Amino acid sequence: MQLGETSELGVLINIGFFAFIILFSLYGAKFQIWQYLKQIEAGLHEFKKMFIESRQIAIDTFKEFGRSEEEVAKDLDRWMDYFTIMPVDLDPAGILKRLDHLLDERRDRFQEFVAEVAPESNQGMNQNLENTLEVTQVLGLIYRVVRHFYLLGKKTGSQIMIMQVHMQLPDLLRLAKAYFDALGAFADGKPIGDGIGPLVVTKFAREYGATPESYNHEISREVGYYKVEAEGRTVYAMRATGPGGTVGKPGMAVKKLVDKYGDKVTRIITIDAALKLEGEELGRVSEGTGAAIGDLGPEKHAMEQSATERGIGIEAIVIKEDEAAAVGVMDKRILDSVPEVIERIKASILKRTKPGDSVILAGIGNTIGIGL
Amino acid sequence: MGIASRIFGLALAAGGFFILWFGMGSPADPLSYIYSFLGMIVMAMGFAFLTAGSKKDEKKPPPPTVTEIRCNSCDFKEIRDFQKGDYVLKPVETTCPKCQSTMTIEGVYMVREEPDEKDRI
Repeated sequence: MQLGETSELGVLINIGFFAFIILFSLYGAKFQIWQYLKQIEAGLHEFKKMFIESRQIAIDTFKEFGRSEEEVAKDLDRWMDYFTIMPVDLDPAGILKRLDHLLDERRDRFQEFVAEVAPESNQGMNQNLENTLEVTQVLGLIYRVVRHFYLLGKKTGSQIMIMQVHMQLPDLLRLAKAYFDALGAFADGKPIGDGIGPLVVTKFAREYGATPESYNHEISREVGYYKVEAEGRTVYAMRATGPGGTVGKPGMAVKKLVDKYGDKVTRIITIDAALKLEGEELGRVSEGTGAAIGDLGPEKHAMEQSATERGIGIEAIVIKEDEAAAVGVMDKRILDSVPEVIERIKASILKRTKPGDSVILAGIGNTIGIGL
Repeated sequence: MGIASRIFGLALAAGGFFILWFGMGSPADPLSYIYSFLGMIVMAMGFAFLTAGSKKDEKKPPPPTVTEIRCNSCDFKEIRDFQKGDYVLKPVETTCPKCQSTMTIEGVYMVREEPDEKDRI
């Protein structure tokens, strides 16, 4: 029997065949969108679970410092929606100054909130609590944004909206999982992969006799430096103050050091963690030109501006990490890269500066769990 | 889903294959299409039983965080579980059992799994 035959069964089969073709050509996209929505829904459950668990971890961490669970929960829920409005960019003149001001203000509000909710905590712990709060907030934000587009897509039937969320879902899940897994590190004050910059700077400074006591505090907000003599050069080894979790304002610190020590500074070397490409080795050390710092703009601008105004060479040494390693507990392979980075710093100082010069060595990153 | 359902699934898939084969074997038979469709459906059901309830990748617990303590004078090294309050470069109260010098926390880290060999291209 063949398609197109005129027997009764043949006719039925022909009808079935064409019905199948028509059904899928008319409603194929609908089936696919239904499938996408189901997959987004599954992802959304995952986001929700991560957010709820992270909220509970934050509450458990905060309640150890003087307030009851109910009070902490109420305040945290209020804070989950805290937002920062980016400055207007229609008139870009002075935008970085305005952004810097807004970021300072935001930081003040976070500190104020943490001091309020954890009245019995000390300064170092306050910084860790701020980090815990920020991670919980990020997880809540991802969940709410994905839910928004899921519901909106469902409501309007907009295929493009649903497809966009579906396409970004694996990446968002990866990011959320990285932050969720890192929450324990922030709550317990463990060092994270991003802290490799400050760690390298301190280990370098200690090789040349620096001690926690020789650290000069607060050249800029939560940033200080060691002054050491290395290979006949004066090195200002600068980092945020730990072991509390902060990145401080390293760009402003570089600017102040350049302003203070003027023409003697001939080189700025920045050390930071950088996102690795898939397939690259974790903890691989790379170097290049420019300021290695991943802020929103003001800090990087301050560094570049200071270097450009005085014609100071600026270079970067980075340690390659993925998101999970950068925000999670420091990996052994990242820690093992410290000697190589120090060797590269020494080589750079010897090759590209003269005895008697001054060098600024800036360790960029979160100092959680990294002592002075 | 246990072994029994898998055996049932296998039997169903094999039965479906047989029906499909039978249907394809006699194109002149008016019921050959019906046998073919039926065979495919039975086979699909069999495969569904075979693969249903397959274990998802169980989430492994994260590796433990350890603290590495080193003597400031000799090569003595101690690795222990992380304790709250530990941080890198923190001087520890205990002295080196080998030379009685002071000791410092040189690292707080975890050892994650290396990437799969197939990802090394």
